[in-house]
Formats: sequence, C-alpha cells, structure tokens
Amino acid sequence: MPEPIVQIRELTKFYRHGEIEVTALDCVSLDIHAGEFVALMGPSGSGKSTLLHIIAGLDQATTGDCIVRGVNVGNLSETELADWRNTHVGFVFQTFNLIPVLTAFENVELPLLLAKLSAGERREHVTAALELVGLGDRSKHLPRQMSGGQEQRVAIARALVTDPTLVVADEPTGNLDAHSAQEVLTLLQTLNRQDGKTIILVTHDPKAAAFAQRTIHLEKGQLLNGNGQSL
Amino acid sequence: MTIPGFILRNALRNKRRLGLTVLSVALSLFLFTTLQTALHELTQPPTSEDAALRIVVRNKVSLANVLPAKYRSRLERMPGVRHVMKLTWFGGIYKDKANFFPQFAVDSEQLFPVFSEAEIDAKQIQDFLKEKNACVVGNKTMERFGWKIGDRITLQGTLWPCDPELIIRGVYRKGIDMTNLFFHHEYFDELMGNKGLVGTYWIRAENADSVSDLIERIDRTFANSDAETKTETERAFQLGFVSMFGNIKVLLGSISTVIVFTMILVTASTMSMAIRERSREIAILKAVGFDGWQIFGLILAESFGLAVAGGVIGCGGAAFLYRNIDIYSLSHGVLLKLDVTPAILAAGMTVAAILGIVSCLMPAYTSIQTTVVAGLKELD
Repeated sequence: MPEPIVQIRELTKFYRHGEIEVTALDCVSLDIHAGEFVALMGPSGSGKSTLLHIIAGLDQATTGDCIVRGVNVGNLSETELADWRNTHVGFVFQTFNLIPVLTAFENVELPLLLAKLSAGERREHVTAALELVGLGDRSKHLPRQMSGGQEQRVAIARALVTDPTLVVADEPTGNLDAHSAQEVLTLLQTLNRQDGKTIILVTHDPKAAAFAQRTIHLEKGQLLNGNGQSL
Repeated sequence: MTIPGFILRNALRNKRRLGLTVLSVALSLFLFTTLQTALHELTQPPTSEDAALRIVVRNKVSLANVLPAKYRSRLERMPGVRHVMKLTWFGGIYKDKANFFPQFAVDSEQLFPVFSEAEIDAKQIQDFLKEKNACVVGNKTMERFGWKIGDRITLQGTLWPCDPELIIRGVYRKGIDMTNLFFHHEYFDELMGNKGLVGTYWIRAENADSVSDLIERIDRTFANSDAETKTETERAFQLGFVSMFGNIKVLLGSISTVIVFTMILVTASTMSMAIRERSREIAILKAVGFDGWQIFGLILAESFGLAVAGGVIGCGGAAFLYRNIDIYSLSHGVLLKLDVTPAILAAGMTVAAILGIVSCLMPAYTSIQTTVVAGLKELD
C-alpha cells in the first residue's frame, strides 16, 4: 500500500481561555491516503474543524505531528505555510466566501495570482475549473447573481484551480437547500472518483458523510472506533 | 485580473464612502496647499536681480521712528551707492478703511532708477515728475478702483496729519508690488511743514558684491547718532515687515498640522472600517495563500491610492483654481496672487503619500496579526 498522503501522529490541541484550558484534540493519530474521500463527523465541539484546520495548515497543533506529503506542516513558518496552502490545499467553506466584487472567473483566478503563470495560462486553468463544476457559462456573473449552490460550485472551482494535493471542505452544504446540497456532494464525489482528488469533508450530517468512502468519527477531541468508543 | 486590478475593485466596492473620503482628503489638501501658498506669498516676496541690489535703511529703534532728511546726502556720497531714495509709508485711507492699499511718499526722480524692473511708459514718468501732486499707481490698484490716468484722489492721513490730493499720472506694471501708490516726497514734506522726516531710505547698490559691506558701513556711519540706523537687504526688510503681523509662520504651520492630523484620523477611520468589514475576505485570502506582507501590500496600495487621489484633486485643484481666478480682487488687495509653486505641490503630495501610509498601518497590522482561524471564526 502506498504511503499515506496525510499522516497525523499523536496530535493534541489545547486552547486557553483565561485560566481555563480546553482540549480540542486529544492524541489523535490518523492516516489518509491519496485519492480518498474522507468524512470527519462529530457533534459540535468534537474537534473535527480543528483537525481539518491543522491538516490544511490554517492552525498549529500544540503537540504531535501533521505530515502532508512528507512535509511536517507544524515546522513551516507563516510565510512558508501561506505558500504551502496555495500549492497543496483547496478550501471549500460553509459560507462560500467568494469576493463579492469579483466575477466567478476572477474568484476562481484569485489563488493563481500568486502563481507564476501568464494571463493566458491562468485563463486556461480557470476555464477548465469552471467547466469541471458545470459553470462554464457563468464565468462573468458576480456572486450576487448566482444561487447558493452555484456560489458553492464556484468555491469548489477555486479550490481545484491550483490542482492541490488536498481539497478540504468544512460543512460545505450547511448553507444550502437539500437539492443544492445533493448537487455539491455529488460534485465532490465525482471529483474524487473521476479525477482522483483527495477530499476531506467535515460534516455533522450523516447523509453528507455517506458520500465519502470513509467516515471518521470524533467526540471530545478523540477518534472513535466503529463501536463509538475512543481509540 | 491582475493584483492592481484586484486592489482597484476593492477600493471601488463602496463608491459613496470612497468618494466622500477622497473628497475629504482633497478638501483638506486644498486647504493645506492654500495655507502654504499664502504663507509663501507673505514671507517670500518675489525676488529679482534688481531686488538683490536694493538696501533699506531704517531707524534702529523701530519702523515707527523716522530718520533725518540730512542722511540722504551722506548716503549718496558713500562708495558703492548708485541711487538713494527717500520712502515714507503714508498709510492713508481712500474713502473707506476697507479700501486698503499701500501708499508711499518717495523721491520721485529716484523711484524708477531704484525700482528699475517696474514697467511704465516714459511719457507717464515725465508727467509724474512735472507735477508736484502727481502720483503713479500699480495696475492692480488702478483696476480695483476703476481709476484712469488724470483721475484725482484724496488720501486721508492716519499716521500723518495731512490729506494729500493727488492726480494719477502714471500706471506701472510688473516688477514691484502692483498695488502700491507712489507720490512726491516733496509734496508730503510740504504738507507736513518741511520737518525733514523720512521713514526709510532705499538704496540701489552699484553691484551685488558690495551690498554686505555697504550695509555694515552705513550702520557704522550712523552709530552713536541721534537716529542710529538698521540697514538690511530688501528681502530681509520685507520679512521683518511681515513679522510685524505676528508669527504668521507658526500660526499657519499650526493650522496645517491640525489639518494633516485630522486627515490621518479620517482616512485611518475609513481604512479601518473598510478592512473590518472585509475581515472574512482577508481570512480567505490568507487561506488561499496570500501571506501577511502581501495582505499588507494590498491594504497599503488601496490606502495610498486613496490618499494620492485626494492629493491630486486637492493640490491640483488649488493650483488650477489660483491660476485662473483674480485672487487680488477676492482678497480685497491683501494678496497679490497665490502662486502654487512646484515645491508646494510636492509638499502637498508628500503629505498625501505619508497620509496614505500612516493611516493604514494600524488596520493593516491588526489584519496581519489575526490568524486565519480567528478570521474564519468571524464567518460563523
């Protein structure tokens, strides 16, 4: 079996609120392989978003290692992390988070402004990403001129445009109606199955988790086994 | 899309706020430019090669103290002196106090040799010299009161107990202050009962090299006399004259500082608002790979652009306006012109640039310090 693309080793994360220390992740170890579609499930406060943030290089663990494609993310400086995220991670958020003054095309193009690509190359990548999510004809639309489902698909295109190692999606259907949520999850599943994208999905919805190949349950910062017991 | 294009889109997202902010910066810099220009006009009178040759001799005690008429012959005999002219400030009222303009009694024959850069018709000089109560007037004052050659005017004395009745015989242009009126010192002496009083002596030196030596010799000559002299160049004299109004430099400088400080507060407030309402987008930019310095660059460019746009409108507007309006009429003769010099424009634009940088420092620092996770939490 090939080496995992993501290796989490004894990861802990504490937050300090004044005198009180809160444990968000408690000695979590986990492997994710290339081409997997993994759902991180758990109730609110279980640590699933914290784990996702650490894997995506948005947050630092208190102890333990998070190695993505051989790079220990915890050892990177802020500037290195920013560059790493641009190259290796595509983000999809619950609230879409498109820049309202930019068109769909420009929103998708945004991560590529940091890459050393010509305008023509950027155009090719963006067009391909928008075609992939089925919005090739909406490239000139502003976010306010699109439905929620369409906005989220633009966000997915933005996440894919740099061809990242990982696509991380934090409750991507939380703000969508049932039909749009189905469309978005199907799209993520298709990207995983047809294009081999490694996707990590955070959700508390079992229906959404069903689209993933593997579901990892968290509770109180710990991974649970299939019987609902801490590992 | 390019990075500059992205910055422009961000700047234009709230057009009303952008417009109002640019306008407030523009108005403030317009005022700043106006004050600096006024200060320049008041403290830095136009100089010429002829002006560099002129020396003013006055009573050492103060300008209000006069000098004896007999000093003239002694001054004329000094090596390095080409012309000597008596010049006494009359300071009378023409019809109404509001109609202020400078009036001087002068040695009529020496007036145009001393102020040789003034342009006047030779025939008018002859007419002026021939008549005891003739006067010559600068074209600005002629235009202001609608006077023409041959008109008779009466000045009501305030400092001096006499009311000269004058006939305008000449109009001069350019070179010297075009608001002045000059009349015969002889006529003034006659009205005053030939007391031999002289306000100042104006000397035209042979050459510029002899000026400093001449100044020293004149004061040495009249040292320990009843009326000791203070001799200085025309420029130094004018600056001293201006300072009689008070410390204008400090006053206008203080107002300018307040304007700049207020501008910084206004722009910083605007940038803070603009950045605060974009905090979620800044978090997203960081998430997709923009680092802290790149975010700072985006914010700085926006703030800088905003301030410079205001600067161009404010400073450029002032330059354009003052080039195209008659400031002499509008200021009722207080200011001859408002010439926005390249140095003042550069100062205004420098203020705008500094404003753009300083006003974004705090909001930019805050947004850089905010972690992506903290920024993302603001989304929920």
